[in-house]
Amino acid sequence: MNLRAIGALISKDFSLFFRNRFFALMTALGIIFYLAIYFLMPSSVDETLVIGLYAPVMPPAFEQFEEEGLEFQIAESEAALKEAVIEGEYLAGIALPADIMDRFASGQKPKINVYFAADTPEELKDGVEVLIKELAYQETGLGFEASEPEILGPDMMGMQIPPRDRMRPLFAIFIMLFEIFGLAVLISEEVERRTAQALLVTPMTVNDLFAAKGAVGMTLAFGQAVLFMGIVGGMSQQPLIILVTLLLGGVLVTGVGFLLGALGKDMMSAMGWFVIALIILAIPSFGVVFPGTVSGWAKVIPSYYLVDTVHRVSNFGAGWGDIGYNLLILLGFALALVWVGTMALRRKLQ
Amino acid sequence: MAHDAIVAEELTYWYGELVAVDHISFHVAEGEILGFLGPNGAGKTTTVKMLTGLLKPKAGKAMLLGMDVASNVEKVQGDIGVCFEDTNLYEQISAVGNLKLFARLFGIRPFDANALLKRVGLAGREKDRVETYSKGLKQRLMVARSMVNRPRVLFLDEPTTGLDPTSAEAIRNIILEECERGATVFLTTHDMVEADKLSDRVAFMNEGKIVALDTPHNLKQQYGKRALKAKIATRNGELEDREITLDTPETPQAIRELFAQEKVVTVHSEEASLEDIFIRLTGRGLYA
Repeated sequence: MNLRAIGALISKDFSLFFRNRFFALMTALGIIFYLAIYFLMPSSVDETLVIGLYAPVMPPAFEQFEEEGLEFQIAESEAALKEAVIEGEYLAGIALPADIMDRFASGQKPKINVYFAADTPEELKDGVEVLIKELAYQETGLGFEASEPEILGPDMMGMQIPPRDRMRPLFAIFIMLFEIFGLAVLISEEVERRTAQALLVTPMTVNDLFAAKGAVGMTLAFGQAVLFMGIVGGMSQQPLIILVTLLLGGVLVTGVGFLLGALGKDMMSAMGWFVIALIILAIPSFGVVFPGTVSGWAKVIPSYYLVDTVHRVSNFGAGWGDIGYNLLILLGFALALVWVGTMALRRKLQ
Repeated sequence: MAHDAIVAEELTYWYGELVAVDHISFHVAEGEILGFLGPNGAGKTTTVKMLTGLLKPKAGKAMLLGMDVASNVEKVQGDIGVCFEDTNLYEQISAVGNLKLFARLFGIRPFDANALLKRVGLAGREKDRVETYSKGLKQRLMVARSMVNRPRVLFLDEPTTGLDPTSAEAIRNIILEECERGATVFLTTHDMVEADKLSDRVAFMNEGKIVALDTPHNLKQQYGKRALKAKIATRNGELEDREITLDTPETPQAIRELFAQEKVVTVHSEEASLEDIFIRLTGRGLYA
């Protein structure tokens, strides 16, 4: 390794990167933009479920429900309840008949009307149905003798993640992914303008060239991600694991940058390839932000292991034992991508 | 006696089925200027790539300054300078920035970029971004860049193509100065006049092979046809061309008869150009 030559090329690349107004602006604005969004988003989760209730007679079981995190707001009439649900004041409305307690006492089934707004999620509808059944069981004395519930795994009760912290891994990976584009353009221009050829007739070797480009990619991606995570408190838990994860993420995006640099012919084609890569690599992030939107196949996307690890460590304090397997897979993907990218570039340089 | 700076022994390279360079052998002495001529696709660039360590020969050997290029690439590259045909400068940075980068790659400290730029006629434009330069100025900078490490062997690929006469002459002068300093120059060019003016010897390359290699004078002697060309005035006042081939037994008699029987208006001798010889040897022109 010719460290002198590598240092000279790194210095040149940073100079060129920040002379390019587009990259300089996007790098600066990108991090400011994500920080601004982060701090503007809610920092806490409102866990109370508000349900409208019309109850001429209030069954005693409702007091118990309120203790379990449900908030009932009383409507004056069934018509007022329906109107409030339509207006979006309640997620659901329950109308109890006036003779509900008598019917329970006589062993008859009371008729309970339940109202939902058109956009109420299915999960909530199911939940309210279960609530009604539970009410019936409680009032008729047929409720289960529930033993102390046992939580298998970490008890997440009260640990709901605020929206901004849920978005944190997504922001971090977006900051890293953007640097793929800068690196790809630096490389593709070096190849297409044949400046790489001029470098390779000096004592600088192809491996030196890759080392310099890799260092630039790593510094840009890793450095910014660390800065972001540091500012938003993403490293308050297990900072070493987060650093290692972001470092591997930096290697991963550098490999992708190499590959796109070999595929791209100029800034526009590099941008085209970058958009494709961005879409693919960003998919796992949505699975974290919106659970249930991404199924198991997302695990074939290398960035899944980056986002999942950052999410679990920064939001739940997962330790080495919990995410060691993730990091191993991430390392494997990162090395494979660097190898593929390097081979593609070596072929192009010849 | 001068040692050989460049030695090619049975140098060969192929791309798939295409043999680009086919077992060529030659040597270039220290301080010599070798003109390397040939049409596009003749194998010139591939040869230069093998000599400069950019490509590893598929067969044969390239030696530079007594070292096998393939096994001493970095050492060899520390002693050479290469000026490519296509402009490949960092256009967003200044001329000084370009030269300083390459000086750092070669490990040269201290390095006076301004002195080198002054030498190639770029004084006053040192700090301008290269993207603002004309083609001629960029080419001067390319030549300057190839001289950053005071190379012992200089590879110049079409250094004056597309330049105005002043820029071209400036670059030719720099080549001669480098040669006086003791550098060996490997000059690839299409320009036969330039090759004739600058080269101690020229090599003609065609379809991957060297078809002739000698001094321009010897090549002309060996392959060229010398002639005397005259314009004569006829009786009705019109001009006619006459040509007498020189170096034949009949030449003296033919010249005597020309001057005795015709009214000669102009007369001059003509010798074959390198291009004529190249066409004669290969059956194709340099731009074919």
